[in-house]
Amino acid sequence: MLFIILLVVVAIFAPVLASLIGHGPNELFNRTMLDDFGLPLGPNSEFWFGADASGRDVLVRMIYGTRVSLAVGLLATLFAVGLGVALGLVAGYLGGIVDTVLSRIAEIILSLPILLFAIGIVTACGASKEGCARGAIKPGLMLVVLISAFFTWPWMFRIVRGVVLQLREREFVDAARAIGAGPTSIMFREILPNLISPIIVYASLMIPQAVLFEAYLSFLGLGVPDTTPSWGRMIADGSQIYDVAWWLMLFPGIILLLTVLAFNLLGDGLRDALDPKSDR
Amino acid sequence: MTSRRKTLALLGSVALVGAVGVAACGSDDKSSDTNGGDTATTAQGGGSGSETRFMSDDAKKGGTYRIATPDLGFTGGFDPSAEYLGWAWGLQQMLLNRGLVGYRHVGGTAGTEPMADLAEELPEGENDNTVWTFKIRKGVKWSPPLNREVTSKDIVYAFERMATPSVGAQYANYVQPIKGFKEMADGKAKTISGIETPDDHTITFTLTEPTPDFLFRLAMPATAPIPPEVGKCHTKAGEYGRYVLGTGPYMIKGADKLNISSCATQKPIAGFNPTDGITFVRNPNYDASLDDPEQRSAMPDSIDISVNTNEKDVFDKIQAGELEEAAGLSVPPDVARKYTTDDSLKDRFRSNPEDSTNYLTMNLTTPPFDDIHVRKAANFIVDKTALQRAWGGKLYGDVTGHTIPPVLLDGDNSIDPYATEGSAGDLAKAQEEMKQSAYDTDKDGMCDAGPCKGVLYLNRNYGAYAKLGPIVIDNFAKIGIQLDAKELPTGPAYETLQTVKNQVPLASNARWGKDYPDATTFAVLFDGRNIIPTGNTNYSLVGITPDQAKKLGVTLPKDGVPSVDADMDKCRKTGGEERIACWKEFDTKVMTEVVPWVPYMNALHTNLLGPAVTQWDFDQDSGESSLAHVAVDPGLQK
Repeated sequence: MLFIILLVVVAIFAPVLASLIGHGPNELFNRTMLDDFGLPLGPNSEFWFGADASGRDVLVRMIYGTRVSLAVGLLATLFAVGLGVALGLVAGYLGGIVDTVLSRIAEIILSLPILLFAIGIVTACGASKEGCARGAIKPGLMLVVLISAFFTWPWMFRIVRGVVLQLREREFVDAARAIGAGPTSIMFREILPNLISPIIVYASLMIPQAVLFEAYLSFLGLGVPDTTPSWGRMIADGSQIYDVAWWLMLFPGIILLLTVLAFNLLGDGLRDALDPKSDR
Repeated sequence: MTSRRKTLALLGSVALVGAVGVAACGSDDKSSDTNGGDTATTAQGGGSGSETRFMSDDAKKGGTYRIATPDLGFTGGFDPSAEYLGWAWGLQQMLLNRGLVGYRHVGGTAGTEPMADLAEELPEGENDNTVWTFKIRKGVKWSPPLNREVTSKDIVYAFERMATPSVGAQYANYVQPIKGFKEMADGKAKTISGIETPDDHTITFTLTEPTPDFLFRLAMPATAPIPPEVGKCHTKAGEYGRYVLGTGPYMIKGADKLNISSCATQKPIAGFNPTDGITFVRNPNYDASLDDPEQRSAMPDSIDISVNTNEKDVFDKIQAGELEEAAGLSVPPDVARKYTTDDSLKDRFRSNPEDSTNYLTMNLTTPPFDDIHVRKAANFIVDKTALQRAWGGKLYGDVTGHTIPPVLLDGDNSIDPYATEGSAGDLAKAQEEMKQSAYDTDKDGMCDAGPCKGVLYLNRNYGAYAKLGPIVIDNFAKIGIQLDAKELPTGPAYETLQTVKNQVPLASNARWGKDYPDATTFAVLFDGRNIIPTGNTNYSLVGITPDQAKKLGVTLPKDGVPSVDADMDKCRKTGGEERIACWKEFDTKVMTEVVPWVPYMNALHTNLLGPAVTQWDFDQDSGESSLAHVAVDPGLQK
């Protein structure tokens, strides 16, 4: 938890930290931090984590990369949770044809090879100047967020739907119905508050998935542009010359590992704390 | 065309027959020359007269010379009529088939002098360089299974294929001056009236205009003979590439098994598979006494080219002696560092001028680059040394300030109207220019009008290209131009840039190399008459007229754009020293009165030689390894 708070602080105060270090995220030091062959120089007293292949400070770019990772993780999870919860409520409460249709859609999406499909979408939308869908979808951070959300909402949908199927038979729902409450009111005023615990637990577990997803896409060159520092892209760039510039993969790799681990531990902790049926 | 799997590979789209003139290859590179490179590795061993030769004392005939490439990358299926990849040109000229005119296939200026190949000798142009008559060497035979002597009819057939639209000849524009060529290409004639064959060993070309560089054009592989018996069966674009026969020292492995009794019996030659590789073995009908040893040493018994997409694996194998060299790959800078800093290895790293130019292209019709002062400011602000370092440093290119590579200007690299100290860019000079622009509204040296923000900047998304982006974005920001970078794979990047209506303001995804050793192959990039809707290579739209702009959907600046069409026409009619001087004047005018580019580097081609290589040279014509002069010691191979 402490680590996650630290990440959030770093993300918020990235410009301040960069100014303290004295280097910008896209500031080039190609005269001092690249050798005659254009190869980057490693860690030293001024560049603690060395320079990348363009002569930029790896530490500063990692600091800014925190913003991308957290933004993608939180936004994608927010969208996925919003969609998954809303549709899960509707499907679980109304049942019938609505439930059947929504459940089949969710299953179809879950059956798609997510990374392969995402690569296809991003490649198609990133292969021309205009993007795709007549310019409605353009490559970049938001596309990564939307794709991640699109492929993960069914998980939340299934969890919410399952819980709602149980809750809708409970007495307090019958009571609400008896006093004249409509379906919308019952779903959002009566049932939804009882879903908060599972939503929080699973949302916390979806965040690291989204962070990794962004890293995957950026690693493949399909994520955010180079001028927006991203851990995945930094690792990808470093992989081309890992044997002569080990620091390019090591430091972003460690921070990515720790971030994913931290969110997973947070999710586990929340589940233990909020789920009365879990083993303590 | 190009040399290192040129960018070109993708460029495959370039124009072609029929159209006004156009074309040329786009490329990443194409090459030539020798001057220029204070960094170029010079020959070791000597003895050949070539300044780029690598040679040990025990170079012997025999063995298999093994090459790996990530992709054969042929743009025309290896059909000589259509193929436009520099490396493929080299294979065809040096190994497979002999044309009327050839080269020594060595590096430096010696490698750019045309020589008689299939011709007995080089003729002088008659009637103001409009009539050229060649005598063909007697006794030169086609490889098995054809086995007959080459005749003038075979050469005529090669030209007729170029005039056949279905064949997809990509640089037929170079032979359009031949009388009657265009008529046949347009379907108005069945033969080319300007080519006559009084007998089997004589051929005469009659041209419609003085063409002093016609010999160079006849060294291009599409002009080499093709046997009608086989060629007539394959008139779809690229198809003949799987059936190519030749007269050179090698043939494609399995060519002798080709059943040419009818078109129906012909099956692709087994030694060439576009996805796996291509193998050349000795042509039993090749008579070295009828060839010039200066042009072909033909040392190995076979040359094996295999596809390997793992770049690191390729260079590891070269270092281990499991391969002799790579094609279509630049030596990674870390490997170059290792080799050039070790005295026992440095001879095996080679770096030679490709005769290509790397540049940023600015669109003369698109704000803010429709203002010449902005374009000049861009030339002052760009840190060319940083861009050079992004490519790998001085072993990978020489910084330049003009469009045409020095070798095509008699070695002159002095044209540099925007020189800055250390080629690092000069903010003060850039801002002085910017102050004269209408886009600097408060005259503080910064571009501050609306069009200065969010300017589209197109680039490729991998390798050294990707490293150019941060530098360009940083440099332009210093004069107030905020770029919106768009990184695309090679193909889509070219398609986007080559589609005129896109009016891409700024791009660094293209390079250009010579098609043959004359500046006209660069001038085509600024020929307003060559502008076509797609596949366009005049990226800056130099010389576009209001009528063209209207048809192409391009918005022109109110003062139009400058043209250099008349200047290049003047140069094309000259010869000798006058021609060189004319092209220098042309280049200077382009850089001072038009300013379509920020040229920053003449690329050097890098090669890494495995421990079993006992002889090697650079081919200045194709800008690639000279496979005509390599040798290998099988005892050192692993």
